[in-house]
Amino acid sequence: MLEQKPSLIHRCQLKTNEQVTGTWHCLKLHAPDLCGARPGQFVHVRVGASSDPLLRRPFSIHHVVAEKNEIWLLVRSVGAGTELLLQARPGAVLDLLGPLGNGFPVVDEAAPALLAGGGIGLAPLYYLAWLRRQAGLPFELLIGAASCSDLPADDYFAAQDLHPLYATEDGSHGYRGLITGLLEQRLREGTPPARIHACGPLPMLAGVVELGRRFAVPTHVSLESHLACGVGACLGCAFPFKKGGQIEYRRICKEGPVFNGEEVCFEI
Amino acid sequence: MRSDPRLSLNLAGIKMANPLIAASGCYGYGFDYTGFVDPAEWGAIVVKGTTLKPRAGNPPPRIVETPAGMLNAIGLQNPGVEYFLEEIQPRLAGLGCPVLVNIAGETLEEYCQIASLLDGVPGVSGLEVNISCPNVRRGGISFGCDPDVVEDLVSRVREAYRGPLVVKLSLEAGNITAVARAAERAGADALSLINTLKGMVIDVGRRRPVLANITGGLSGPALRPIAVRAVWETAEAVSVPLIGMGGIRTASDALEFIMAGATAVAVGTANFVNPLSVREITAGLLRYLEQNGIAHYSALIGAARNER
Ligand SMILES: Cc1cc2nc3c(=O)[nH]c(=O)nc-3n(C[C@H](O)[C@H](O)[C@H](O)COP(=O)(O)OP(=O)(O)OC[C@H]3O[C@@H](n4cnc5c(N)ncnc54)[C@H](O)[C@@H]3O)c2cc1C
Ligand SMILES: Cc1cc2nc3c(=O)[nH]c(=O)nc-3n(C[C@H](O)[C@H](O)[C@H](O)COP(=O)(O)O)c2cc1C
Ligand code: FES
Repeated sequence: MLEQKPSLIHRCQLKTNEQVTGTWHCLKLHAPDLCGARPGQFVHVRVGASSDPLLRRPFSIHHVVAEKNEIWLLVRSVGAGTELLLQARPGAVLDLLGPLGNGFPVVDEAAPALLAGGGIGLAPLYYLAWLRRQAGLPFELLIGAASCSDLPADDYFAAQDLHPLYATEDGSHGYRGLITGLLEQRLREGTPPARIHACGPLPMLAGVVELGRRFAVPTHVSLESHLACGVGACLGCAFPFKKGGQIEYRRICKEGPVFNGEEVCFEI
Repeated sequence: MRSDPRLSLNLAGIKMANPLIAASGCYGYGFDYTGFVDPAEWGAIVVKGTTLKPRAGNPPPRIVETPAGMLNAIGLQNPGVEYFLEEIQPRLAGLGCPVLVNIAGETLEEYCQIASLLDGVPGVSGLEVNISCPNVRRGGISFGCDPDVVEDLVSRVREAYRGPLVVKLSLEAGNITAVARAAERAGADALSLINTLKGMVIDVGRRRPVLANITGGLSGPALRPIAVRAVWETAEAVSVPLIGMGGIRTASDALEFIMAGATAVAVGTANFVNPLSVREITAGLLRYLEQNGIAHYSALIGAARNER
């Protein structure tokens, strides 16, 4: 017999489901068993009871409020699954697997960590930033989007005493241009950071890793793909990595979603 | 959960606590779901397709969802039989249920070599010979379509492996009953069916196939009626026991396969949706037996045939 681990399947009541901006909603769930989740870990959510959509959908732990037994998910509606999930009303009971995956390392070091979130990729970095703030560890939060109307309002961050630097492509808030441009500026001008944590679209992550290489700063990137099982069993989420001159596939759901940026093979 | 004698069986020499099997490729090596259910709740677990040499698998994307189903093109990613014997086999006894190894080769010789390497290995209760993988360029399905090739392959594997031998059939063959008979003649102890069916999805925005492999194997509820039909037809053609699979989510789904003639059933994709599937299906089967005053589930094998 194998050692019995605590169950990773949870039925959690939805407390609130509020629009944050445009197509983004913040879902607050009563989930005492998930409050120990690390930043960067995710939950695999059943979005409906029928067979269509069939598969669960993964969402990062966006925030944990342990004293309220609460976890938050920040969900952007992009298709059938997320649309259905966002129809859930307070009181609804959601079926979640988790916490899954490895999460970002929370390292105690004197130099700051730079946290770069592109679009909905800010979801896990919000909690990472909050944890570092709690622990008194230095960090800077950088957030990028096409326009400020795509982002939550400043007070969404200020409520947790987070004060991000913004990059918007249309220049409507903060730096004008891509988040990688803002990151490069920061790497040139500020105190050298100890590491960079990033989550966002693949081209952004490739850019972040390239900058990390140029400025000799280690990068930790959170990758995305469609998942089936979410627990390592199906090999459906494999992503290529460089290992000793060869390509090796690793599971985003199991070995990741956070990986050493240097090893990720972005050229696919 | 205690095993219930009303569900126990002996499948081609493998003693199983219940007729539920974790389908190959959907349950890793049995360890990925231990945070949800005790693997010993399964009648048996079939591990991921194992090849002679390690295989990297296909580039991403490897999966895409379809109406009530999904396509996968994993490409038989696995660390190879040597790694399996060194690193995984020693841990299998800990699972607490019989384990079958699903094997695949690019050539007939490869199938035989893997089979002989696994012959007599403790912790391996039997082999499932995959002659039906739709996601590899060589081997797999190309072996599964021609009854003569199947008969040759299975009889050679039969010589190399003395334990319980299951042959996994494809419906792509067109004539599944001819292939089933060939496998039976060649010495298969049981047949499992069906493997996924080849399909594809096109991303209309980007005007190209979603999967890097272009095509992938369809699994999940969408497959079920086709799979039930395949079991129905095959049960008429052969006398070896059948393991039915394809889209099973509930006890009622499992009963359809059993009533069509399957002795055991395998559950794949449903685990991704509900890791507690095995527990819920087992409970549902027992409930059905109670409600209908049936002493042992085996009374239901092929029941839909008898009633005609
Ligand atoms: C570990 C992990 C953490 C995640 N965390 C969050 C999160 O905190 N908040 C959030 O909103 N989303 C997150 N996602 C992405 C989210 O899971 C997908 O957006 C969701 O599954 C889409 O489901 P759907 O049915 O609405 O869209 P689908 O119908 O599946 O897809 C609609 C469109 O979106 C694209 N798409 C779908 N999934 C992805 C993806 N993963 N990456 C890029 N494009 C995609 C599709 O290609 C398609 O064009 C995460 C994904 C992973 C793997
Ligand atoms: C992700 C995935 C990987 C699979 N890998 C294998 C494999 O390696 N060998 C094999 O014989 N079948 C493989 N299969 C097929 C399943 O074992 C099963 O025959 C099929 O999925 C139908 O059952 P289901 O609808 O319950 O999933 C795989 C299926 C899926 C979804
Ligand atoms: S989604 Fe199944 S292994 Fe990652």
